[in-house]
This record gives sequence, structure tokens and C-alpha cells, in this order.
Amino acid sequence: MEMFPLYAMNLLYTIATLGLIVLGLAVVFGFLGVMNMAHGEFIMIGAYSAVFVQQAGYYPLLAIPLALVVCAIVGWLVEWGIVRHLYRRPFDTLLATWGLAILMRKCIEIAFGRKYRSIDQILPGTVGFAGIDYPSYRLALMVAIALFFAALFIWYRRSNTGARIKAMMSNPELAAAVGIDTARLARGAFVFGTCSAGLAGVLMAPLVRVEPYMGIDYLLSSFFVLVVGGLGSIQGLVTGAAVIGGTNVSISTLSGATGGYLAVLLISIVFLWLKPNGIYSRG
Amino acid sequence: MERRQFIQSSFTAALIAALGGVRWARAAETIKVGILIPLSGPAGLFGASSKNCALMAIDEVNAAGGILGRQIEPLFADVGGPPADAVQAAQKLWKAEGAEAFIGMHDSAVRGALVGVFRGQVPYVYTAVYEGGECAKGTYVLGETPTQQLQPVIPWLAEQKKVGKWYLIGNDYNWPRNTNAAAKDYIKASGGSVVGEEYLPFTVDNFDSNLAQIKKSGADAVLVTLVGGASVGFNRAFASFGLADNALRLGTLIEENTLMGIGAANSKDLYASGGYFRNIDTPEAKAFAEAYTKRFGKDAAVLNMMGESCYEGVKFLKALAEKAGSLKVADTEAAAEGTTYEGPRGKAVMHGRHVARNIYLAAANGAEFEVVKTFENVSPGSNCG
Repeated sequence: MEMFPLYAMNLLYTIATLGLIVLGLAVVFGFLGVMNMAHGEFIMIGAYSAVFVQQAGYYPLLAIPLALVVCAIVGWLVEWGIVRHLYRRPFDTLLATWGLAILMRKCIEIAFGRKYRSIDQILPGTVGFAGIDYPSYRLALMVAIALFFAALFIWYRRSNTGARIKAMMSNPELAAAVGIDTARLARGAFVFGTCSAGLAGVLMAPLVRVEPYMGIDYLLSSFFVLVVGGLGSIQGLVTGAAVIGGTNVSISTLSGATGGYLAVLLISIVFLWLKPNGIYSRG
Repeated sequence: MERRQFIQSSFTAALIAALGGVRWARAAETIKVGILIPLSGPAGLFGASSKNCALMAIDEVNAAGGILGRQIEPLFADVGGPPADAVQAAQKLWKAEGAEAFIGMHDSAVRGALVGVFRGQVPYVYTAVYEGGECAKGTYVLGETPTQQLQPVIPWLAEQKKVGKWYLIGNDYNWPRNTNAAAKDYIKASGGSVVGEEYLPFTVDNFDSNLAQIKKSGADAVLVTLVGGASVGFNRAFASFGLADNALRLGTLIEENTLMGIGAANSKDLYASGGYFRNIDTPEAKAFAEAYTKRFGKDAAVLNMMGESCYEGVKFLKALAEKAGSLKVADTEAAAEGTTYEGPRGKAVMHGRHVARNIYLAAANGAEFEVVKTFENVSPGSNCG
């Protein structure tokens, strides 16, 4: 079983990256009830920030702040212009954000073309340990994601803003009556959601294919994770990522990728049927 | 003759002369050719280069007198979506706009649907790389078959690179399966063995478990029949795990766009086998590439074997029409065997609805291809009995 370290690393990598990818939608859907169909497109914007920086010849790490800034601006505008007016109308937000997704894809297509982009690896090579060779960039990414989630968890538990968000989620009217600026909190949460998506895109860009239609697959995976893990908590997100990612990787290793995808679909169906709020449901 | 009779007969004569003149003018009109290319959907990436190459060929043919003395008028339609939409688009060109022949560069699902619609009533030239076996009446296939792409290439690679343990990985549909079925024969004939075979659904974008399998199997050669984004993702991950140091990769649908997505750093020992690459070193191919850049600019859609096949399609259609004397299917069917034409790929000769042509084996050199071996006049195998 000398392959076990490699399988274990693959599992951890899948869970970590799934968590980062889904975080944005977990916040926006979980805390605000907004099914953001353009979630994948914010990831795409993050990836194209890396494309832009590389094309212009700037220092590669500048792509990260660029992605955050662009996604913050676009997220702010989207929340202010579209989403805020549709908070209690879930189907309308679904339609509106789907239209937004089409618009974003076409804009990127016009600006950058349809061709595939290759982001240069800033940390090439592999690290040898436990008898396997694992790509260095992936290791660094996994560590960064773990630290980020730990910090986020602690912040949410301990901070005043975290408390206010919990208040707003459990009873928005009472929270507003108590003096919490729910509109500002909601906008902040939405922007955080889009920025997380952008961060996922820019960090994953050297590892995945980059083209205007890349976002659609991420939306699908995010949906599976949220169905299983439940909305509105970081534990739910991590659990969902662990279950979906773990199932996919294990079944794929044992009986092929088709089996892995089938298992993910079956689990999602079972959860939708028996436990529609997921493992860690809100409230 | 009485005056009224005179007026009537001269009026009639004038009318007949006018009508005859109109018919004569119509005979010198254009010949409408439906050009079916993917402008949207997963293969939409190839739409721009396909259209450009088709336009180049049409202008060249028109400048030399057109087809059978009539200028070609292209009618483009988008067939990148589901087959039902493609059928509608093609029918519109055929019935409503009077297309007399079709040139198609699209996937096999669309081809199957179109063959069912045309039913051998209109000549239909299919130009894309595909799985072989298309024998419908009125259909003429220029696309490379798995036999062509692999029969000379696998033994050459096995001998030159000393590889014998092949891992086959592709997407799960008929083209990869047919390709692998053919590959197994050639691998065995060259003294090698197949150490793994996997088919992935199109939704997969994480290949870590597949790469672990490849490493475990000890393969020294990987035959990649993944398409599009999956090919890019797989090849990037393959190299990032350092597997390119131990195994070479051979792809039968890795063209310039895919290679750009894979990136120079991830393309070590990556080979592609096909009928056309932008960097083919023959005078015809270089002249073609220069003319393309001159006309469409440096930032135009990159030349690749999918787009360039549309150029071949137009040239073939002219050769076929000239040989048959018309574009009626009865005539083209009688004349098709032995039709030859020349283009950037070299010379092609039609046998059994498919063409024998040169096959190029190219190695990735950074983010560009470099042809390392040319196999001349490779037979497409026996597809139609």
C-alpha cells in the first residue's frame, strides 16, 4: 500500500480546494439566502486577474490583490444594483444572477478571447516525502487554505461582526430593531462571498484550465457540497466538502471517475430527499 | 401581318427574349455552399479559425474561376450546439436558402443527425478528425481516422523512444473508445502492452486519482484521448506531478489551442499525431500560414487542424465537382473514388469515401509544435467494406 500517502494527499487537496471554492457561495447562499448563479464567474474573474498580470508582465503575486479588488468592486455593484432588491425573491435572484453570469462570461470573452490560457507556475517542482512526490504549489496552497479557514472560524466565533451576522441570520427584523445595520452587513457578506470566489480563482489558476466558460463546473460542485453540508456555518461547509470530495476521490480511485461522479450524485439525491437542510442546518 | 398581330407577336418575342435573358443570367449566378461550423458550445473555440480558413479557400477557388464556372457563395451556420439545433440550421440552409453542397466541421453526434436529414440527397463533406466508419451515401470524409493517426506512429514511437507499457486514458464516448481499440492492435504489434485503460466523464476536472493509477502502473507512454478542457487539465496535472520525466504522452486531438492551455512548462515529451500543424515545414504549409497571418493578422484565431480542415473541405469540393461534372449526388458518387486535391497538408487521394494523406507526428517544443516525423500517404484503413 505504498500509494496510500498519495491517496491521502489527493483527498486532503480535494477537500481543501472544494472548501475554498464553495466558501463564497456558502456565505452568500447560507447567510443571505441568495443563490448566486454567477458564483463560478467570480472564480473566473479571479483566474483572469492572473492572466492579466501575466500578460502585462507584472510580478505574479500582484494577481491576488487585483482579483480581490475587482471582485469587491463588481460584487458591490451587483449587490447594490441587483441583489439587494431581490432578497425575498429567490427565483428572481436565480434568474438575475444567471443573466449576470452570461454577461460576465461574454465580457471576458470579448476582452480575452475564447482560447485557453496557461498561468505560469510560481512554485514549480515537487517535494518528496513518505515515498511520494507531491507538487510544491499544491502543498503551499493546502497550508494556506487551512490557515485561512482556521482564522475565519476563530474570527466568526469571537468577533462582534460575527455575532451581528448570527443575529441577522436568525432574526433579521429583531436585529434591525436592535440597531444592527442589516443592509450594510448583508452587502459586506455578499462582497466577502464574491471576493472569496475571486481568491479561489486566482489561487487555483496555475492548476486548472482557464477559459471564459470555466466557472460553470464550479457552480455545480458548490451546489453538491452545500446540499450535503448545509448552509450557514463553516463546519457545514467543511463537512460538505469532506463528504463530497472524499466520496469522489475514494470511489474514483477504486472504480473509476464515472463511479465517483455517480456516488456524488447519489449522495446529493439522498440528502435532498431525506435531509434537505444538510448535516449542519442553519438555526 | 395585321398591326395587332404584329404588336402581339413582337411583344411575345420580346417577353421570351427577356425571360431567356433572365434565365441566362441565373445560370451564371453563384453556387451556394453550406458551411457548418461550431460557433458556440464546447467546440466554439474552433469556430473562428474554421471560418477564416473556409473564407481563404473560397476566395482562392473563386479567383480561379469558382466551381464549374460559378462563384462560391458561402452560407455559414452554427452547429456547435445539440444535434437538434444543428439539424434545424442545416435544413434552413438547404431548403430555404438553396445550398447545393455542405461542408461540415463538427462532432460526430451532429454528423449522425445531419446524415439522417440529408439522406444522400446533397453532397456532404465531413472534415473533422473522427472515429472512422462513416459510409452514408453522399458523404465524403476528409477527417483523420484512428487507423491513420496511430498505425505508423505507435511503432515509430515504440522503437525510437523505447516505450512498451502504454496507458490509455480518454473521455467516455465513441471516439476515444474506437481510437483505443485500434491502438491496442498497434501496441501489441509493436511489442508493447497495455497497462491501463480509463474512460472519464466530461465533468471530471480533477485527475489526481488517474495520475496515481498511471504512476502505479509503471507506464512509460500514455495515449491521451481526452478532449478540450479535460485534455488541458490532465496534461497540466500530469507534468506538475513530475510524471513527464518517466512517461511520454501521445495525443490524437492535441492541437495548437490545447497546447497553449497546457503551457510550455508542462509539455515535456508531449507528442501529437494529426494531419495538420501550423508549423509544418513544407513550402505549401508555410505559404498557407503566412497568407493566413497576412489576411487575418497576428492576433487572429490560431491555426489548428480543426480550422484548417475547412480549407481542405472547400478545395476537395472543387476537385470533386470538377471530376464529377456537377454537384448532383448521383454524379459525385460515381466520381468520388480517386478524387485528388492538394493543400497545405500535401496531397490527398480519396478511397472508399476517406482520404489517404500525410500524417505528421509533432513534438511540443515549448508552447509550439515541431514536426519530428512525416508519414507519407497513410491509408485511412478500411472503413466502408
